Amino acid sequence: MGSKEATVASFIESAPPGEVDIKALASNQPSLLQSLDPAFKKYNEEQYVTVKLPGGSEAVLLSEYNSLGEGRYHDTASQTSFEVDHASQKASNTQQHPLEGQHSDLIKSLLRSFASASAEHFPSSTIGIYATQSDSAVALVLVANKYSPQNFWNGRWRSTYLLDPSSNSLSGTVKVDVHYYEDGNVRMSTSKKLELSGASNADGIVREIAKAENKFQEELNRAFTNLAEGSFKALRRPLPVTRQKVEWEKIGGYRVRKDLKNLNSSGD
Amino acid sequence: MATADPFDAALDLLRRLPPSSTQKNLNGIISLQPDLEEDLLSSVDVALTSKRCVTSGRDYLCCDYNRDGNSYRSPWSNEFDPPIEPDDAAEVTPQGRVRRMEEALNCAVDIYRELYYEGGTSSAYLWPLDEGFAGCVLFKKSASQGSGGKGGWDSIHVLEVSEAATKRSADYKLTSTVILDLGLQSAAVDNLELAGNLTRQTQQKCPLNGMRDNEIEQSHVVNIGRMVEDMETRMRNLLQEVYFGKAKDVVGDLRSIQPLSEAERDRAAHQEVINKMGR
Repeated sequence: MGSKEATVASFIESAPPGEVDIKALASNQPSLLQSLDPAFKKYNEEQYVTVKLPGGSEAVLLSEYNSLGEGRYHDTASQTSFEVDHASQKASNTQQHPLEGQHSDLIKSLLRSFASASAEHFPSSTIGIYATQSDSAVALVLVANKYSPQNFWNGRWRSTYLLDPSSNSLSGTVKVDVHYYEDGNVRMSTSKKLELSGASNADGIVREIAKAENKFQEELNRAFTNLAEGSFKALRRPLPVTRQKVEWEKIGGYRVRKDLKNLNSSGD
Repeated sequence: MATADPFDAALDLLRRLPPSSTQKNLNGIISLQPDLEEDLLSSVDVALTSKRCVTSGRDYLCCDYNRDGNSYRSPWSNEFDPPIEPDDAAEVTPQGRVRRMEEALNCAVDIYRELYYEGGTSSAYLWPLDEGFAGCVLFKKSASQGSGGKGGWDSIHVLEVSEAATKRSADYKLTSTVILDLGLQSAAVDNLELAGNLTRQTQQKCPLNGMRDNEIEQSHVVNIGRMVEDMETRMRNLLQEVYFGKAKDVVGDLRSIQPLSEAERDRAAHQEVINKMGR
């Protein structure tokens, strides 16, 4: 990949939720598009982009955990595999893909439990449960998107957990991204690692997840308040110490007050 | 994209990519489209850098408006660092009336900065136009990592002033960008980053008081100062709303802490009370 392709690839990988306009980038440039395929694949798998299967109504997410290689992915809920065109984010060429392996019963019960537990907190979300390649762990993946282009807002929540079936302990990450772009460009991004244990079955596992995510979201709300009351306030005051707007006609007169201020700088 | 103007496309892209990497993305776009360099550098606001004036020892802020090649002009000494060719300097160094107003404006915003920012750095630059003058007023303040997180504020106010022929009033056009970068690292959230920029514009006609040149010059400083103050106060409120109100609301829209079935029951119960009262 040349440096130009690398530059464009970096733009794709850092695109905000729901705003990779691939068609716009792709037109008249089939060779550029082809060279960018790895970047689109990386974006789609990292951002848990969802696709609709031909003939199906449910969305299916893309991730490294359900990748079969060669552009194919599988869905445990419908037990199908499918091909993905990463640039257009379209699925095709479905085949049966029976759920097999030592964790298939656990995956089935987790699909049920995680879907209903998620519906309790996410108005709209897509989940996926997959055995990892070596069968050593089960991955629980969730993505929730909220696109509000008429209000210049987009947001994405991603949860990823790896469950060790032998101990029922989970380690995972929650990532939340928000983008606002009305006469500006504001991005919020946060990521939090979580370690959970103490559950004995699928219902218990998803209950632990909901509990931990509730706690994280409460902490995140507190972090917003801390930033607003902390560094934001420390950067620029809403009003001067004098509690009055500047008297620009008498700006020279402030020189004295400026010296005085040092004497009562504790006063707010 | 094939028909879109490359410059507009570049601006649209920069509006969407992470604002914390604007400088890096700007360099990337320029490497793809070298023709856009000058236009992009003068229209995309990036976080300000500061330099120490060799003559006065005071810090000043660097932007495209006090830049000539790789040299920057200090508002305190009116000299370029590193020095530029005398012929070039004569062309791009403000003189006379514009320089007098620039000096007065620098003194005024320096006091304003102390009152609102209690620290930081400020600079103002003016240059003549055919009918009037233009300028920019810059502020930069950093907050180091504490329990309330770390942060950086850069405000960039660009103005265009056209004076009425009578010199009794002037039209001021102001375009302001605030780049606000906030971050928090804690055990509770690991890492929270809130970074971005907002741009707003305003236009205003203000009276010029006095008859003598120095009175009119002072009048401009007062008008510019007041406009910048009002704009910054407005933008601070807006930033507060976007960063801490809306961003938090969107997270709440993505995920509800309260179970949705419970929230639905509450809503139904609430509706029932309203219905009963209505009877």
